[in-house]
Amino acid sequence: MSVPAVEVTNLTKVFPVSLRKEYVVAVDNLSFQVNAGEVYGLIGPNGSGKSTSMKVVLGLMAPTEGETRIFGVSSRDVRARNDIGFLPENPYFYKHLSGAETLKFYGKLCGMRGRDLKDRIGELLELVGLEHAKDRRLGGYSKGMLQRIGLAQALIQRPRLVILDEPTAGVDPVGSRQIRDLILKLKEDGISVFLCSHLLEQVQEVCDEVGIIFEGRMRREGKLEDLVSIGNQTSLVLENASSELVDKIERLIETEGDGAELVEKGNPRTTLERMFIRIASSEKQEKEEN
Amino acid sequence: MADSEPANQKPAGRTALISVGRIWTIAASTFTQLVRMKTFYFLLAFAVLLVAAGNLNILFSAVEQLSMIKKVSFGTMDLFAWLFAIVATALLIPRDLEDRTLYTILSKPVLRIEYLLGKLIGVLVVILLSLVTMFVIFSALLHIRTIDFLHTEVAILEQAGRSQEMIQAEAEAIIAQGLRKEMWVALWAIFLKSAVVASVTIFLSTIASSSLFTIIISTIIFLVGHASQMMIDFWKDQFVDNIVVKMLAGLFRIIVPDYQIFSFYEGIILGEKVLPHLVWSMTGMSLFYVGVFLLLGLLVFFDKEF
Amino acid sequence: MRAILEKYPRWIPIVAVILVFGLIRTPIEKSLRSQLIETHLLQPPPARTTLGALKQSSLMGMLGGLRSMVAVYLTLKAYEHFGVMEWDEVESTYDLITSLEPREEFHWVHRIWHRGINAVASVEVNDDLTPAERQRRFDLYSTQAIEIGEAALEQLPNSVKIREQMAEVYREKLRDYCGAAKMYGEMKDLPGAMQYSTRFYGYFLAKCPGNEQKAYDHLYGLYVETMSNLDRKGERGFVDHRAPTLIITLKELEEKLDIPISQRIPDPHPDEGLKRRNRPTGRLPGGVGIP
Repeated sequence: MSVPAVEVTNLTKVFPVSLRKEYVVAVDNLSFQVNAGEVYGLIGPNGSGKSTSMKVVLGLMAPTEGETRIFGVSSRDVRARNDIGFLPENPYFYKHLSGAETLKFYGKLCGMRGRDLKDRIGELLELVGLEHAKDRRLGGYSKGMLQRIGLAQALIQRPRLVILDEPTAGVDPVGSRQIRDLILKLKEDGISVFLCSHLLEQVQEVCDEVGIIFEGRMRREGKLEDLVSIGNQTSLVLENASSELVDKIERLIETEGDGAELVEKGNPRTTLERMFIRIASSEKQEKEEN
Repeated sequence: MADSEPANQKPAGRTALISVGRIWTIAASTFTQLVRMKTFYFLLAFAVLLVAAGNLNILFSAVEQLSMIKKVSFGTMDLFAWLFAIVATALLIPRDLEDRTLYTILSKPVLRIEYLLGKLIGVLVVILLSLVTMFVIFSALLHIRTIDFLHTEVAILEQAGRSQEMIQAEAEAIIAQGLRKEMWVALWAIFLKSAVVASVTIFLSTIASSSLFTIIISTIIFLVGHASQMMIDFWKDQFVDNIVVKMLAGLFRIIVPDYQIFSFYEGIILGEKVLPHLVWSMTGMSLFYVGVFLLLGLLVFFDKEF
Repeated sequence: MRAILEKYPRWIPIVAVILVFGLIRTPIEKSLRSQLIETHLLQPPPARTTLGALKQSSLMGMLGGLRSMVAVYLTLKAYEHFGVMEWDEVESTYDLITSLEPREEFHWVHRIWHRGINAVASVEVNDDLTPAERQRRFDLYSTQAIEIGEAALEQLPNSVKIREQMAEVYREKLRDYCGAAKMYGEMKDLPGAMQYSTRFYGYFLAKCPGNEQKAYDHLYGLYVETMSNLDRKGERGFVDHRAPTLIITLKELEEKLDIPISQRIPDPHPDEGLKRRNRPTGRLPGGVGIP
């Protein structure tokens, strides 16, 4: 087994509230890992602890307990960040810099120089489709363009891991599609991706593995197809099945089903969202009962 | 094991030591930021002010007029330097945080001390360049006015039939008000003061929650730091032999920086001599201040959570 | 390091650093401050009376290290008061100016000149005042001018220009020739003194009762010095002290002191010295001191 790209072990993060001795547990004993070359999505509603976990992974916050590692290096070690490209939610960069200057700035921060940096900037501008705007200052960029230059900035030093916070929040459907394609391209190039989102649909299109976080705790985790399956249910998805065949199967269930029942029939739909709401509401119920 | 990892990887073991390159990159970006915020328009205003001060059409003597040009120029340079040091330093870090630029910077392999140092150096380079530019404008004007006064005064005195001795004395008095090499030291003194002010401000901005707070507190410290000696003398004078007051005054002196000593440029432009060892001592003192306040800033900033 | 720091609240190391730094720098700053004051690069904090008198804006400027800017502003203000002859305002403004910049010679010269010459002169011609009040103010202003001069000399003990201005007050207003003689006497040995000051010393000493012999000795000495160096006439360093006033004063003193005929100086040659040059009156206000 190779070293995981991200390894979060028993992470707990507690914030003090005001001066009184009150605390809010933002992340509670969270563990998960992002394997090298994989796209991992951490999903949860706003305030569920995704951003906090991400900031701890990035070294912007210190864990109260537990630890996080990037390719085996502790997040608190500055060297861990050689391997990370990060795109924050709604990124704003220095408005006074042009697109090319922005990439140059971040490249230099990563110790890149000269020809190598110049070539890389050209490459990335092409990748995110901003060659035409490279000399324009970011003050004049649209939201989608900012998101793309942000992604290019994240990739500047050829990191092995890319961390994306709500990568498509507030981006129009076309821009959103572009970003999704870019993520798939990264995966193809063998780059690990760790993303946070509350937009489930996008996640399920690109993620290999998904973790569902709610109120700081990991609720479900696993391969997407496993997660959306319901334990005592089985779905058959048929292609080009004739209505006779379907009728035959239905009859078979009735006659030899041994208690089995047909719950649903139709074209497949996302169930992720439904499940998500189920988890949230059962949690609420539990709390009310206590 | 390795084959499951991407091909374009590189080892994660690069040095964690401070990198001059990264500091310089952040400093350069800070510099560009401040320049593109049209900071240098101030220089234009300075030039206008100087020309105005240099042509005050009042019946003052040549010596006095030259002295006024010097005082107004250096006073403005001083004002610009410390005000800019406070405001620019106080604005930069909170702004990065607000725009979340800080996240992208700190998620690159950048040490927090590098970030702080880079910001500070960026601000100081802008101040230094502005000061040098102002000094060049000032020197040109002062030189022109000195020559001008020299000619007219000598002509007036000759016409009045004054003795050669008197003309000589007046010419010497005018020349003494003109450019002197020591004025560079005065400029350096102003820069030193602004460097200390900037480093105190950067420390405050690491604890403060808003720029406004930083600016206000830093300005208060600046003013109190100028008056500290006066206050201490006053207290000691008022409460002779009062042990409590003595202790309080001592504590006050320990906590509040003595900014007044950094105003030694005023003596230089009045024409006093400068001893080199004092300049070195003051430079060392300033470095000491900058180092300590950076350390304080780092104590807050190195594991500050965003 | 990180582990140690995380154990304690962060304000502890911060306060510790501030205190240790304070303890280290305080003695150094103290010594630097006194060195800077000694070399006149830094002005000692102004006396408390000044602090009280300063308007708020001026105070801010001074605290902000902008003493000289405030001084320039006040100079312009004083000039305004001077323009409308508000003599007390001129004096109080200059009081501030000279406490802000006690080492700036021309502030003192102006202050003495305004008080001792201008204010006094304006009182002398003020018909609105009763003769008694005129006299009272005349005495007050001219004495004040001398006091200002003495305070000035404490700051700038080697100043020629301050003495020159004081001498003018003694000479023109107080008619105190002994005082004037004292000023010229001190001036003549100072660097940067004009050549005439040594002669003026003699002239006013001659008018100071009881000092006639001293004045004669001094002026005769100058005369002899000039005569013995006549062959160096035209060279650098040669000073011709045989000014008309010197000759006249010497002649008067010879009479007064009953100097034997054989020791008296010859009458002046018609071509030497006695030609009066056309002297213009001094440029006003301020400017170069013209005797």
